[in-house]
Amino acid sequence: MNWRTPARIFLIPVVSILLVFLVWDLIIRIFNVEPFVAPSPGEALGALRDNWSILWPLAIETIRETAYGFVLGAVLGFVLAVAMAQTRIVQGLVYPVLITSQAVPIIAIAAPLVILLGFGIWPKIVIVAWIVFFPVAVSVLDGLANVDDDLLKLAHVMGGTRSRVFFKIRLPATVSPLYSGLKIGATYAVTGAIIGELVASTGSSLAGFQRTANSSLDTPAVWGTTILMTAIGISWFLLVVAIERLTTPWRTRSTVRRLPFRRHPD
Amino acid sequence: MTVDTPKLWVEGASKTFEGLTALAPSTLSLQPGEFVSLVGPSGCGKSTLFNLVSGLLRPDDGRIEIDGVDVTGQSGHVGYMLQKDLLVPWRSVVDNITLGAALTRGVTKADRAQAVDFARRYGLGDFLDHYPHALSGGMRQRVALMRTLATNHDLLLLDEPFGALDSQTRLEMQQWLLEVWAETQRTVLFVTHDVDESIFLSDRILVMSPRPGRIVSELVVNLPRPRTLQQMTEPDFIAIKRQILDLLHGTAAG
Repeated sequence: MNWRTPARIFLIPVVSILLVFLVWDLIIRIFNVEPFVAPSPGEALGALRDNWSILWPLAIETIRETAYGFVLGAVLGFVLAVAMAQTRIVQGLVYPVLITSQAVPIIAIAAPLVILLGFGIWPKIVIVAWIVFFPVAVSVLDGLANVDDDLLKLAHVMGGTRSRVFFKIRLPATVSPLYSGLKIGATYAVTGAIIGELVASTGSSLAGFQRTANSSLDTPAVWGTTILMTAIGISWFLLVVAIERLTTPWRTRSTVRRLPFRRHPD
Repeated sequence: MTVDTPKLWVEGASKTFEGLTALAPSTLSLQPGEFVSLVGPSGCGKSTLFNLVSGLLRPDDGRIEIDGVDVTGQSGHVGYMLQKDLLVPWRSVVDNITLGAALTRGVTKADRAQAVDFARRYGLGDFLDHYPHALSGGMRQRVALMRTLATNHDLLLLDEPFGALDSQTRLEMQQWLLEVWAETQRTVLFVTHDVDESIFLSDRILVMSPRPGRIVSELVVNLPRPRTLQQMTEPDFIAIKRQILDLLHGTAAG
């Protein structure tokens, strides 16, 4: 039994999502729930289709907010972790701030950010970055702290220079933990963008659309929008996983991918 | 440099950790091309002596010379290999072999050519582009030894390199190491717990003893080379083994 064949990698998650929709549909049917209370999956997806021409541009905007915030948060988290790993004093000073930043309720910080940054894309980017930088910083910091001591000794005996050891051993060693942090961040990033839209939006956003649909009791459209938001979150996660597989071939492949003209001389 | 200059000269080197003497003043010398083993129980100062020669530690007293040059407390003068293969998971076999160059000055075409040549000559030709996780334990240790050779130091320090392998693989690796050593003409200082291994490989064996860690005896292994597995059951071999076991047992009991 090979669980890693591509067919199974894709098939199993699809089946499990379909099962969720099936259970949802059964509950609606069995309890005979009215669509304005809670729609069936079909009604929700129907509303999504009917409003697609409005929703798609808004989704693009949400994706942009998520993307910019994600990249900003990842870069900040990574740089911060590398800086913190250099000296104990910096680490001691920064760590409490790191923890505090995550203890602040994100909803509570959203309103002040809007006052500070206006109603544009910036407060959303900052909220997403705020959420993403933490898991990235913590995982990279872990990665830097857990480089095999014996490997560093070997590097020292070989006469390795400080900067080369950093770039050839310490830094590459953070790649795997970095992706763990990015995957955690990816699932929360879209939530951050939506919170930003909710607080800072004048209406032309996914969150704004959903609020309008909610107040006019268009419940299928509310649920349809939720499905769309969730799909963006899942896509984001999958994108990170795909990039991870491409950039860390040593974890999934047994040999280096080598172009024909780069073969070893005979 | 004259013909008489030893490859390695350790003179009265000692090391104390927090009041405990890890290594009492010790003196030893290795001639170019010699294969010398250090044998002894845990805590006998083998690893300390190793770390002094590799430059990881600086002796409290005494000096260390390689080719007549004082290298006391300096790293970057020896090839060094441990029981853990310490292969870098994101580098291929060839790129692991050139790690020393990558960490000191950057990998040149010549380094890569040499790495490919080593790998092909010593049984890794089909695995040049493999990542370490795709190799067996024995193969990984072969790569680790190639990496050690590729640093192009004449003196190799090997600290129980085959200690984690099963006995079958270990025997294969010992024969293979002798082949590599004979062809590349390096000088080897080898640490092991395994008495058979030390006799099979070495020209000389230094027996060490703990509390304080020191060299208590030196035995010359006058078995003809190239060595064969048959020799391991012959009277000469057994006689040396008995001598070493007496020394180890005596010091352990005393």
